[in-house]
Amino acid sequence: MAMKKNIFKIAMTWFALVIMTGCADYLNEPKPTTSVDEGLIYSSREAAEAHLAGITRLSRAVYNSVSSANLSTIYCARSLKGNDFISIPGNAWYRSDYDYTDLFENGIRSWFTWVFMYDVIQQINVFINGVTNSETISSLDKTQLLGQARTWRAYCYFELSLEFNLTYQKDPEALAPPIYLEVTAEGKPMSTLNQIYNEVIIPDLQFAVDNLDETRLVKSFINVHVAEGLLARVYQVTGNWPLAEEMAHRAYGGFVNNALAASSYIDGFDDFTNTEWIWGMQNTTDQTASWYISPSTISDHVNGYYKSLFVNANFVNQFSATDVRNTFFEVNNVTDYRQYATTKFTFDFESDMVLMRTAEMILIEAEAMFRNNKAADAHNLLFALQYNRDPSAVKSSNTGDALMEEILLERRKELYLEFGVEWYDAKRLQRGITRDAKHSIIVNLVPNDPRFVVYVPLEELNSNPNIDESVNQRWQ
Amino acid sequence: MNRKFTRLLTLLMVFAAHIVVAQQITITGRVTDDTGSALPGVSILIKGTNDGTHSDAEGRYVVSTRVGAELVFSFIGMKTVERVISANSNVLNISLETDATFLNEVLIVAYGDQEKKAIVGSVASLDSKTLEKQQITNVGQALQGTVPGVLVANSGGQPGSNPVIRIRGIASANASASPLIVVDGVPYNGSLNNISAEQIETMNVLKDASSTALYGSRGSNGVIIITTKRGKFNATPTITLSSTMGVSSPAVPLHKRVGTEDLFAYNWEALRNTDMYVNGNSAVNAGYNAANNIVSTFGYNPYNVPNPIFENGEMNPSRQLLWETDWEDLILRDQSVRQEHSLSVGGGSEKTKYFFSGNLLKQQGNVKTSELDRISTRLNVTSQITNWLELGMNNSLSLTESVAPNQDGSGYFGSTQNIYQMSPIYPVHRRDEQGNLILDSEGNPIYDFGIGSGLVNAVRPILAGDNIIGAFENYKSQTKTTNITTNAYLNVKFLKDFSFRTSFAYENFLTNGYNYASPEYGYAAANGGSIAQSRNIFTTVNFFNKLTYDKTFGSHSVTADAIFETYQGKNDTFSASANGFLPGVVVIGGRTNLTNIGGGIDEERLLSYLGRLSYNYGEKYFLEGSFRRDGSSRFAEDVRWGNFFSIGGSWIMSEEGFLNSIDQLSFLKLKTSYGELGNNRLGSYFPYLQLFETGWNEGGLSGVLVGATTDPKLLWEKTASFNVGAEFGLFNNRISGLIEYYNKESIDLIFSKPVSPSTGDRSVTTNIGALRNYGLEVTLNANVLKRDKFNWDAGVNLSFDRNEFTELSQKEIISGANKYTIGSSIYDFFIQEWAGVDPADGYGMWYMDVTDSNGNPTGERTTTKNYSDADRYYVGSALPKMIGGLNTNITYGNFDFNMLFSFSVGSKLYDWDYANLMSSVNVGENFHPDIAKRWQQPGDVTDVPILATQLPIPNANGTFTNRNVSFSSQSTRFLFDNNWLRLRAVTVGYTLPNTIAQKFYMKNLRVFLRGDNLLTFSSLKGGDPEQGIAGQSGLRSSILRTGSLGVNIQF
Repeated sequence: MAMKKNIFKIAMTWFALVIMTGCADYLNEPKPTTSVDEGLIYSSREAAEAHLAGITRLSRAVYNSVSSANLSTIYCARSLKGNDFISIPGNAWYRSDYDYTDLFENGIRSWFTWVFMYDVIQQINVFINGVTNSETISSLDKTQLLGQARTWRAYCYFELSLEFNLTYQKDPEALAPPIYLEVTAEGKPMSTLNQIYNEVIIPDLQFAVDNLDETRLVKSFINVHVAEGLLARVYQVTGNWPLAEEMAHRAYGGFVNNALAASSYIDGFDDFTNTEWIWGMQNTTDQTASWYISPSTISDHVNGYYKSLFVNANFVNQFSATDVRNTFFEVNNVTDYRQYATTKFTFDFESDMVLMRTAEMILIEAEAMFRNNKAADAHNLLFALQYNRDPSAVKSSNTGDALMEEILLERRKELYLEFGVEWYDAKRLQRGITRDAKHSIIVNLVPNDPRFVVYVPLEELNSNPNIDESVNQRWQ
Repeated sequence: MNRKFTRLLTLLMVFAAHIVVAQQITITGRVTDDTGSALPGVSILIKGTNDGTHSDAEGRYVVSTRVGAELVFSFIGMKTVERVISANSNVLNISLETDATFLNEVLIVAYGDQEKKAIVGSVASLDSKTLEKQQITNVGQALQGTVPGVLVANSGGQPGSNPVIRIRGIASANASASPLIVVDGVPYNGSLNNISAEQIETMNVLKDASSTALYGSRGSNGVIIITTKRGKFNATPTITLSSTMGVSSPAVPLHKRVGTEDLFAYNWEALRNTDMYVNGNSAVNAGYNAANNIVSTFGYNPYNVPNPIFENGEMNPSRQLLWETDWEDLILRDQSVRQEHSLSVGGGSEKTKYFFSGNLLKQQGNVKTSELDRISTRLNVTSQITNWLELGMNNSLSLTESVAPNQDGSGYFGSTQNIYQMSPIYPVHRRDEQGNLILDSEGNPIYDFGIGSGLVNAVRPILAGDNIIGAFENYKSQTKTTNITTNAYLNVKFLKDFSFRTSFAYENFLTNGYNYASPEYGYAAANGGSIAQSRNIFTTVNFFNKLTYDKTFGSHSVTADAIFETYQGKNDTFSASANGFLPGVVVIGGRTNLTNIGGGIDEERLLSYLGRLSYNYGEKYFLEGSFRRDGSSRFAEDVRWGNFFSIGGSWIMSEEGFLNSIDQLSFLKLKTSYGELGNNRLGSYFPYLQLFETGWNEGGLSGVLVGATTDPKLLWEKTASFNVGAEFGLFNNRISGLIEYYNKESIDLIFSKPVSPSTGDRSVTTNIGALRNYGLEVTLNANVLKRDKFNWDAGVNLSFDRNEFTELSQKEIISGANKYTIGSSIYDFFIQEWAGVDPADGYGMWYMDVTDSNGNPTGERTTTKNYSDADRYYVGSALPKMIGGLNTNITYGNFDFNMLFSFSVGSKLYDWDYANLMSSVNVGENFHPDIAKRWQQPGDVTDVPILATQLPIPNANGTFTNRNVSFSSQSTRFLFDNNWLRLRAVTVGYTLPNTIAQKFYMKNLRVFLRGDNLLTFSSLKGGDPEQGIAGQSGLRSSILRTGSLGVNIQF
């Protein structure tokens, strides 16, 4: 029995031992390895910039599908809503944007634009809160970080207002998407356009313009010119022409010939180092949005993929043969919508995505000059651009409304397929969109047509007690 | 094993009042069964001690003891015999009688084993005989229709895919609702698909709180305990060879589709109608436009004429069809092959027993390239070193290699999606504008990826950029796993009533994923081909120590266990992808560019203290209580500890005198239990931490994003569970059965609470809400007929399970096609209700509530043609009202025959696949032949609406908006009653008479024919009725119907 007693002792000791050793830190040892905590991120400017880098990357992420993936897809959908471009029939990508059937609360456009923009806004608000409360980032660094973040936030609210409302000038008191300036789990009620523009977008951008300079880490980041350019767009929408003129001027630097490089226009719009680009997103081999780079994935009939986008021959006819922007070629020997395609955008996994260019700023300045009763200056500036693009260009004799129309046509010719210029102008100027007979489905929009508006998504209505379906019933 | 003997001993012991000091005596003898055959491996114990021996292969034994001592002879399935040793007992031959009642059966339960009659909880057992009746690729499937209270939902036909298993309802909304799997006493964290059914001795399902409480934090969804085969002491080696070969095909055919000509006719009509209604053209002009546009809308023209259809809708008589692709025929195999071979050796010496098995399985799925190859081996060794020390080791190694083309859901290579979506007008190989095959330089056809250039036969609007047939050839996707599990244990007995067990288990699951896409063809051609590889190493360490005290005082028996356990799981992931490969280079090292590298290590730990106390009085009254305290690293330090317990009791009424007079009643037991268990199984390792995710790099800058908002106080989900049941045996146990009722309530649900997407989050995981499951289970088994050579057994089991929310964070939560409200079930459909087709204009209609001036529903309903205005209603549940199984087993002489049916009644199935085949929105996609019943002109009374892609839809204020037609959007139009009965397995076998077998030096030889899923009766109009637990079809391949021939030889 002595032996068995020893076994008993050994067993009990073993049992006690394992219980003891188990307790101490056993459960505290596992730690996350692929994520880091907030304290680290806002401990220094460099670490905080990692969050800005993440937000920049998010803007070119792959969210959902080819037509609902990132910023470029929001713009491409707008490009297909005008008269100048035509989608193939059937269930091609963006076809439902082209024929205005993806506007409603259960559609992907509504869901994607809403969720995507508010995801970025949440990141920004976390960032702003973290940087503001950081005890180790200097106040100078803070203002520069906050300037970038607030520019991003203004940008998101501006795009939301464009998508989910008629234009600001139609009715500044119209209900607009809810405003979040800090992180919360509570769904907020709708705001008004007035609040979005005058309490968020403009103050945020003004802060950025006042505090940022030209420096930035890479061109996908925000510097003062990006903020100025966005503010110019905003004033273009609100109709504050003196400030639109000033901001556009500052954004491109004021010297047309320095700001433009005509030869770069035919390089395929796939390289964000292009000197005409003020802001753009880069795709690299190891960080690519792959097939989800619009519009090249559908517009490039040479290297591209879905080849579902054609150019309206009537738009092609607006270009002279010597215009560097005449990137059109006859892809099929027919006279219907399948005749022309464009080589403006080259498709590649490394194709960068354009967000803002100097030429747009020049044209905003020209438009603003015209509105500010400086028609001659406007005309000169317009021609400077025209001449840069086409050495055989001749200055028109247009005055008055005809000159204004010329500026707007020049915007279409310069900026086509970039951010939906035709739709953007029709919407902000409260004009309609008229499609010609080249289209297979003729959709004509009257000024302030409800089809300029995307509905608030069902998921928001279902989960936000402060928003109900009446916000969408306005558009019926 | 010794623990079991100890328990038997104490249970059967009559108190020894005095110790006889007497002479030593050596006893020899032979143990036989009632037919006189030798019984090897019988335990022979000297009562009141741990000393004893086992009978050898011939049933012989030798044991020394004192005169006056008692010897206890026990063997599973036999009645235990006790003999007092007298001075002249030198030779003691014993014949053990078969124990007709199943009551002395010993079942493996949580952290040990128990006699069946001592179990107070709800435990269902499936033995190897039941497993042998089916050809099981995934052992989870064996539970369907065989164990009441277990819902097994298959989805898709990829061999080896894990079915969804739910024990007694769905106890969790967002944390895992799957049962815990325990293999040979150790929680198993791998795929069930790695375990060969042939190596399993029993599969026990623990359903109630008292049986699962010891698994505390992981037991709330029930536990499946798998025990693998073992050898026997003193048994000559038995070598078993078995082999089955068979062929498989889909158990149920897919939905039918129309042919090319019909596609032209219907699409012409859809285009014409759209043009008329949307563009306001006349019928004639619209017909003309439709005829003109149809080829460009399809993008392809399978006819030799440019205008295959005329403006009046008639087909062009001079057309000739150039191709009509049968995608189903190209994508599915005619038949797939299944073969399984195994070799096992089991036996033992006096002190050591062993079991070895090697099993080889090759099963093809019904989609081309789909295959599972598996080798699984297992070695279990137990050694009784001394009468107080036992040690053992269970090891398994399995290797799987699977090719799993997409068979469940959408995607460019979704096999069912391609069959349903790609109509026969799209060719497999490239065609020029005239329809001639385009050949490569060597004269071979080229796969058509639908992204060519040209007016026709170039750009495909459906699944452009790929070609599934080309994918079979030019892409490769496979997964290889290496699964190692090992478990070493030591069992020590001391101080007469104590035993101690320590066990150390290690698992290592290595998963290698490999995806190759050709640089020449298909989606990666633009980037020179791509390879993505992943390597995940998931390891677990489970260490437990158990101290047991087992004592009998008179009629009182007590067993107490104290257990300490630690668990650690670590997931180490690594992945890389690259592009730019030369043709023929198929390894990642041959890359030009590295496109992505990922990886990280996640770890979780669990620390547990457990106790169990069992008591019985006179083997009539049983009481058991258990307690477990768990700390989990998945929760924050201040909330991570959870306490769980259970208490249960049973009463064997038939042992009472007052029931003795009822001769028909052979056995009656009542039992009940209550307990509270936990669940910590979420998708995330650190769900309570708000963290920044790395990897969102921008150019050369490291980038992070803040992760989803979290609840730092997230804690255990708890399930309170009540069980009451009665087991009975009638007519000498020829009829036996079990009725059980349970009620489970899960509180503090780990729940993804929806939040407004405008906050930047879509949901927050927190503890909110409660979910109740309750139900009734009935099992009835009968020996229907027993004659000389004829025996017929039959059984039925039924489960009635209900599920409802009893508390929610908000009034209602809409989740896809379901809505959660208090009182509703997690799988209740809440969708738009179809109101048929308006005969006047062919528009589909839905119901909507009539509202009063305040916007509140009045209770009346009206119809609407605007889908956005349609209201949603509760229209039935995806969960069946009743599930069950029927089995019957007949032996006649050397022939045996058995059948197993499983069935499900009272559920609804939402058929998205059929809905898409009935949609006219996307021109070029397939139609179901039911489209022939479409509305064509005013006055047509039909349930199939007008064909169109878009129509002007009326708004509430009387205006119209052009919208895509919503007739195939979610509504009761595509919700069907789903009642089904499936002949899960049927086997006919013949065993060679022993006398003949022995001439060929065999112990046994059996040949059999076996068929799985041979028949399916279903209330659906097409498709497999088994479509996952949520009851929604999703482009899945059908499960397999397999017929095979097998042979089983024992040497």
